[in-house]
Amino acid sequence: MSKYIATRAIRGSNALVTEAEFMLQKALNEKGPDAKVEFPNTAYYLPLTLGMMGLEVETLGQLNDVLEHARKLLHPVPSSRRWTPYLGETLDAGMATLLAAEAIEAIRYVYGLQPEPFPGFQLAGGTAFFGANGSTGEKGLENHLNGPIDDIQLRSWGIQLVDGRMPGFAAIVGAAKSNEVAVKIVRELQKRNILTFLCGNVNGRSIIDQLVEEGVELGYDTYTVPFGRDTLSAIYALGFAVRSALTFGGMKGGQARDILLYNRERVFAFVLALGEVDDLKYAAAAGAINFGFPVIADTVIPEILPTGITKYEHVVSMPFNEIEGNDDFERAERLVQKCIEVRGVKVKIADVPVPVPYGSAFEGEVVRKADMRIEFGGKHSRCFEYLQMVPLDEVVDGKVEIVGPGFEQVASQGSMDLGIVVQVAGRQMQTDFEPVLERQIHYFINGASGIQHIGQRDIAWIRVSNAAAEKGFNLEHFGKILHARFKTDFGAIVDKVQVTIFTVPEKIQEWLAVAREAFDFRNKRLADLTDNKVEEFYSCTLCQSFAPDHVCVVSPERLGLCGAYNWLDCKASFSINPTGPNQPIKLGKLIDPIKGYWTGTNDYAKVGSHGQVQEVAMYSIMENPMTACGCFECIVMLIPEVNGVMVVSREDTSMTPAGMTFSTLAGIAGGGLQTPGVMGVGKFYLVSPKFISADGGFKRVVWMSSNLKETMAEEFKAVAIREGDPDLIEKIADERSAATVEDLMVFLEEHNHPALVMEAMF
Amino acid sequence: MPIEIPKDKWPGSVRQVVLGATAAEGGTRTSKVVVGGETCMPFMHFEGAIPNRPVVALEIRDRRPDDWSPLLVKTWENVIDDPAAWAKAAEEVGADAIQLTLSLTDSAGQPMSPETAVATVKAVLQASGLPLIVFGPGQSEVDNLLLVAVAEATKGERLALGICEDKNYRTIVATAMANDHVITARSPMDVNLAKQLNILISDMGLPLDRVIMDPTTGALGYGIEYGYSVMERLRLAALQGDAMTQLPMLVTPGYEAWKTKESKVGEGVPESWGDWLQRAINWETMTAIALLEAGANILVLRHPESLKQVEAAIQDLMTAPDMVSV
Repeated sequence: MSKYIATRAIRGSNALVTEAEFMLQKALNEKGPDAKVEFPNTAYYLPLTLGMMGLEVETLGQLNDVLEHARKLLHPVPSSRRWTPYLGETLDAGMATLLAAEAIEAIRYVYGLQPEPFPGFQLAGGTAFFGANGSTGEKGLENHLNGPIDDIQLRSWGIQLVDGRMPGFAAIVGAAKSNEVAVKIVRELQKRNILTFLCGNVNGRSIIDQLVEEGVELGYDTYTVPFGRDTLSAIYALGFAVRSALTFGGMKGGQARDILLYNRERVFAFVLALGEVDDLKYAAAAGAINFGFPVIADTVIPEILPTGITKYEHVVSMPFNEIEGNDDFERAERLVQKCIEVRGVKVKIADVPVPVPYGSAFEGEVVRKADMRIEFGGKHSRCFEYLQMVPLDEVVDGKVEIVGPGFEQVASQGSMDLGIVVQVAGRQMQTDFEPVLERQIHYFINGASGIQHIGQRDIAWIRVSNAAAEKGFNLEHFGKILHARFKTDFGAIVDKVQVTIFTVPEKIQEWLAVAREAFDFRNKRLADLTDNKVEEFYSCTLCQSFAPDHVCVVSPERLGLCGAYNWLDCKASFSINPTGPNQPIKLGKLIDPIKGYWTGTNDYAKVGSHGQVQEVAMYSIMENPMTACGCFECIVMLIPEVNGVMVVSREDTSMTPAGMTFSTLAGIAGGGLQTPGVMGVGKFYLVSPKFISADGGFKRVVWMSSNLKETMAEEFKAVAIREGDPDLIEKIADERSAATVEDLMVFLEEHNHPALVMEAMF
Repeated sequence: MPIEIPKDKWPGSVRQVVLGATAAEGGTRTSKVVVGGETCMPFMHFEGAIPNRPVVALEIRDRRPDDWSPLLVKTWENVIDDPAAWAKAAEEVGADAIQLTLSLTDSAGQPMSPETAVATVKAVLQASGLPLIVFGPGQSEVDNLLLVAVAEATKGERLALGICEDKNYRTIVATAMANDHVITARSPMDVNLAKQLNILISDMGLPLDRVIMDPTTGALGYGIEYGYSVMERLRLAALQGDAMTQLPMLVTPGYEAWKTKESKVGEGVPESWGDWLQRAINWETMTAIALLEAGANILVLRHPESLKQVEAAIQDLMTAPDMVSV
């Protein structure tokens, strides 16, 4: 905690509590202790006091208790000689400030000074005060600012804050650099559906004045609520936060800790301090930090960056004139971006903004040559796509840049080189998720009607149909699609997305080199990612809907049997959906490194299979093999006569040496049953060093469907070399060379297959 | 020879959920419904306690439904245009609760407005003192719009609000919390999805004794075994002690059975199918009773005759036989 901030906040709170005490004394003398105290149109008394102290304040006299409590929370200003941390003291001071501020506003109500009179002002929807403060209009929305939000509006906005339609709220305190900047900031917040509360001033000038001068409508209808032109009115924002917790968090008055935690976890609010920060603002900011609401200032103030009470930074200074940008508008935009980032507000995007229909129904569409406007990649051009994780401040969310000409000048049915670079940033993002996200580009782009996407990485191939081009689909729309979809589908790990599309050769070359380096790195990372280098595997229960007792245990060297989920996918899936089907399995104690038993995997097998499976061996087909649902890409099965296993792929409909076809075998392998000698697996598990390694590994494979051999020829070749037998694949029979066990035996002997001389499998 | 009956002893139990609040509890209901609380599989009286019998609700609509079987329309003809009268009629034929489904559009084809929905719900509450279950039309955005308004206008009645699913649970849960209602959490026939939704709901802070789960089901001959199996597994998990599955279950056999061909079509079907009305009622009844055996706590039906038969079945099943004399 910054000593400077602590000092000023504590000083500010001492001053305010003292002021509140004087005001209360005066009010008690003039109005008596029984004078009624209330905020209008709320059933929550003085909400912050109710929430924090459990006190239902109805009379002036009760405010004595409140201020007494506030006084107790105060600490002396740190002496110049002490250098200890001050977090606790500062937070207490902040809370004292809030209690005192609420008491002062309540007293002001007694005197008719709240909501703040503002002659000539007209609220665009707000709390109505009939006849109060000289307001004469039918609905009482004239000549005063809003003051606290009424309960009806609280319910309406509260639900939207809870269900995410409204991403969060901003409390702006002070005044912006200029009227134009004030307007820009508010527009940026409105654009994102962020509720904006306005209060405070700098040397008597408030952002409310600035907005009014510019003719901006303020009120409930425009999601901008002018609380008051002094710092104290910021208390209404925190009163709103407390009432949210009481209404939608099921909490009761007095559950201070729960209410504060609720706000930290669920109410995405932040304070934006515009202009000079005085003692009182520091004190109020310390109050907001109690709620987990960070403070972002557009002036030079000391920062508190470590995480603690707030989810990320506590206090961030972003001096307005030093913000990068061509003009003040861009600076204002960046400032708002930063606020969103610091609080971790997730902004949703409703629609994919493209001129063609969009949806998963269009994913399988094919664009034929005759209907094609242009293609990128394929025979006549190059196309690559690359998703890169970068630091938060290097991404401008939503920015789509085209470097080079569009395809307008290219002849119909022509082709063009293209590079798509997606840069993402996020607090929860990890480099490991890059490939997981990058793979989504295929689905996202395919979702647009009239666009076809095939391949990935540097062999991507995209076609745009005439129909789509006629509707105005252009290169920029690739970026728009990717931005919208990544934010919507992966908002949990991605906070910002920017897309750059290259069509100039030099740039394509330059970025292709960067991309290839990354692809290389990823390949190595995958190769290095072994079971003994991680502390947790992942469960996958996606298929329990039809195989209730089956559970996949996914490890770096054993992907899910469907082939669709590897360890990284599961890890990303867990980050995105922490209550979803992929849960981390802490490995615990290693029981048997050969067969692959850990205490953690065994315990999980019991729970995940509802007691059906007691133990699971990760690397053996003979002892407690992993169960299968029915989605496996291939079936591995023991052929006892030849001391090896066969591998049948799903595409193979022919008879196997086991005397059964794939579909018959599937009944034995699936359904969540543990059958020693039979196992359903993903085809890439076949090339893993951990493929039935307890039983002898890949050398046990004596028979394999020919289509597998062909489609994975490269991979198998590498495995053969790894196993020290480069000709191994030729020694493995298939449906063309052996359809029965007898034929198989002959074939293996002819080819001198190693399984024949390996130790007995059982 | 004495026969020893093997017994299961379960560590867990189903939570008890109360629907409807009487005047003393801040509502206006004249009766309430308590479901759940069992410590054994359905009707295994010798293994544990079944403190509350399953209950039957009748489904009514806010206006004349466009897609109901003519048989049902005929049955309710006198009240079908007036939800309040319909609710009253449902109470008179012996329903334990009313389930009101709001339509997507009003009878003029305009989108249903929250004001109309609120007026309908209030009229129904006025006409019948039974606990009320209110379902939106089943499109999450419209459900949110209508149910939030309904929830606020009926604060304290302890209605059950649905349909609350993964797409819109936050909104429905928030409004239920703010207005003291119960929710029905629907998931598409999957144990894990049901459980996940319950976790998400409970993460929001809604106490689980205000949650009923609707695991979805199919009609007899139309996937009922799938639904049955999901319910059975949910109940087994609950009894084994999994807190996130220990919620009473609501299912809608009326809705399911009345959309089957056997119930909907009276002409051009084999003669051996027998009397149309009898067949339709049998279909609904058989569907409901099968689900009862799977562990349903609240059954939502459409025809008064099915209601009678299912109520009779419940009475039978709830009479614990004296095991010693068996």
